[in-house]
Amino acid sequence: MSHILKLQNISKHFDGKTILDNISFEIGTGEIVSLLGPSGSGKTTLLNIILGLTQMDQGKIIFHQSDLTHVPMRKRGFNIVFQDYALFPNLNAYDNIVYGQRNNKESASPQQIQEYIEFLELKPHLQKKIGELSGGQKQRVALARTLVTNPKILLLDEPLSALDGVIKESIKQRIQSIAREFKLTTIIVTHDPEEALTISDKILIINQGKISQFGAPQEIVHQPSNDFVDQFIIKQLHIKRQNIYNLFGEQYA
Amino acid sequence: MPNVKPEMRVIFVVILSLFAAFLFLPLLILFARSFEDEQGISIANYMSIWSDRNMIEASFNSLKVSAAAAFISTILGFMLAYAIHCTNMYRPLKSVLKTAIVVPMLLPTITYGFAIIYSLGNQGLLTKLAGRSLFDIYGFNGLLIGYVIYTLPSAFLLLHNAFQSVDKKFIIVSKLMGDGTLRSFANTILRPLIGTLGGAFVLSFILSFTDFGIPASLGGAYPVVATQLYQVMLGSIPDFNQGAVIAVLMLVPAMFGIWLLKRLERLNFHYDKLADTELPRHRIRDAAFGFISIATVLGMLSVFAVMFIAPWLTAFPYDLTFTLKHVISTFQSSDLTRVYVNSLFVALLTALFGTLIAYSAAILNVRTSLMGRSALDIVSMISNTVPGMVLGISYLLLFNGSSLKGTFAILVICNMMHFFTTPYLMAKNALSRMNPSWETTGELLGDSWFNTVWRVILPNSASTVIEMASYFFINAMVTVSGIIFLVSAQTSVVASKIKELQHFGKFNEIFVISLLIFFTNLIIKLLCDYLQKRRTVN
Repeated sequence: MSHILKLQNISKHFDGKTILDNISFEIGTGEIVSLLGPSGSGKTTLLNIILGLTQMDQGKIIFHQSDLTHVPMRKRGFNIVFQDYALFPNLNAYDNIVYGQRNNKESASPQQIQEYIEFLELKPHLQKKIGELSGGQKQRVALARTLVTNPKILLLDEPLSALDGVIKESIKQRIQSIAREFKLTTIIVTHDPEEALTISDKILIINQGKISQFGAPQEIVHQPSNDFVDQFIIKQLHIKRQNIYNLFGEQYA
Repeated sequence: MPNVKPEMRVIFVVILSLFAAFLFLPLLILFARSFEDEQGISIANYMSIWSDRNMIEASFNSLKVSAAAAFISTILGFMLAYAIHCTNMYRPLKSVLKTAIVVPMLLPTITYGFAIIYSLGNQGLLTKLAGRSLFDIYGFNGLLIGYVIYTLPSAFLLLHNAFQSVDKKFIIVSKLMGDGTLRSFANTILRPLIGTLGGAFVLSFILSFTDFGIPASLGGAYPVVATQLYQVMLGSIPDFNQGAVIAVLMLVPAMFGIWLLKRLERLNFHYDKLADTELPRHRIRDAAFGFISIATVLGMLSVFAVMFIAPWLTAFPYDLTFTLKHVISTFQSSDLTRVYVNSLFVALLTALFGTLIAYSAAILNVRTSLMGRSALDIVSMISNTVPGMVLGISYLLLFNGSSLKGTFAILVICNMMHFFTTPYLMAKNALSRMNPSWETTGELLGDSWFNTVWRVILPNSASTVIEMASYFFINAMVTVSGIIFLVSAQTSVVASKIKELQHFGKFNEIFVISLLIFFTNLIIKLLCDYLQKRRTVN
């Protein structure tokens, strides 16, 4: 798989504290990569640096052999769905979805927009005000709005944290389908190991601003590179497994 | 928060320059003038002011009557807010009380004085109803009543807002823990509100101390600082240097008050979560507070009743036959209709530009990462500290020889500077509660910063913008203290015209144009309330 995004030696300090320390990794075309770590580990800062919202102190971002390090956010061509979706409440669902259309020549055609709407099952909700939508519907509207701009990379900040059980699984599948169907490289920030392991092609585990491990889910589960990965990921999964086993018996564990 | 854009810097510089030219510079000139005398620079003006018995008496009187009014307003404001929030009083009655208590805010304070004279004077409406003169209204008593009517709505609104953040569940918890009535009241009501109670006192004190309208009509032979200042500046022998000294001295209690307000804020505490709690039934409590609230509001409004009656009678209180001649002659007088149109013009421009400046300042402060943006909070604090009279005198001293003198522009600018703080804080509060990622999202969707503000931020804060405009408009219509030094024959506005009509004893005309201001403000208030309800995004 060819690499489209390379991050080289990214560092960020704030108020004398190191937020990110020498982060380097590469992402392939159409891959889903999760940035996983506990609160305050620096994963959202890293996402914002890729987006261009936060300036790094040191390092390089290369996209398709072009150096994006000093390219402003708007010109990078990436887009994000924020954790709280940042939908505009004065507009209905449809107007939110097509908001960026008039600004970008490269944005989706009317036909493509209809495809996104159908793919995300938003047709019955298009005329609804944002306040009338459920959490899952809001998430899908935000996803559609972002997809309409035809982003080169899709960034998702804790996309599942505000959703409950069944909706969470449905959105997870949609994110995977979007990445596969539209060959869209996707970077997801999450603090939930189970979420990261089940949705991603690769996981970057960050602890205190440093990479703890970067690899495929199987690799991380079977070959944790250090105590932190073992404690933070494997132990949590073991506890969950044990709880299910206690409730339902061995066949569910 | 979005990255800093050049257009943000430009607006920031424009706003700061505006405040530098029309707030800091005039105050600086005022301060400098207070040290000027025939010999040059000295503290002689300050020395001589304290050898003036009248001035010492006026200062003492101002302190005394303002403190008394602030004390009464705070207690009454508290009781009204308590009645609305902590009793099971009939709900529609609560709504009526909430609306009725703010009615005096729609009138200039100078009208209060004349309404008190016509209600409680020797031949007043309420005096007639009582059958005898209740007390002498000229001097301390009249000022006290006027100041209480003036400051009670503000004190009430402050306490009413604070009561909304008090968790009434703790009243139940306190009862369940076995607290007696007094202990429960002290722990669950007084303690959470102690900072706001102090704030209401300070605010009422500052408003009373710096008001000019009420003593202008009711002061009589009872000098206060505001009337002394007016006499020195616009009396038979104007002395601008002495006036500057009094203005600077007027700033001292205002500055102390603002400092105290900041300190008192620390006493407030916030509950994590507010529960919707049903209060226990208590018939005696509900009846008592219902009675006190109705009596307070009716008492306050009864003073204004005369304003609605007198203009329709031939010569109140001597000839009580109905006539339209006062109203017709007022409307036929091109002079009075002109000042009304002037007032509308000034109020509309103040609302337009004031809202634009305050809203822009709030956006820059709350929704950008501009360096030095907290300077806007300092500007707001200073604007809040400076009384209208002091600002008016500063303008008089600085712009006397300039082309701004006697123009509408100077009135609009003076109002904008004077009333900046409250709308600015309204906007800050509303903008800070909005999603912080909207500008970034707009930018990622291809919008410029201006476009996102226009398409997203503004529509989502329309309700607040309308409230800000309404605040600027109503205050510009009723203010007298600042603009009294700045109006010319061509730019005279209604509130300053009342002062002139007082000189000629034309009280019916005063009431007619006061009614005009009242109904204009009422229409604007109702219109804005309606628009706000329509625009509120759920």
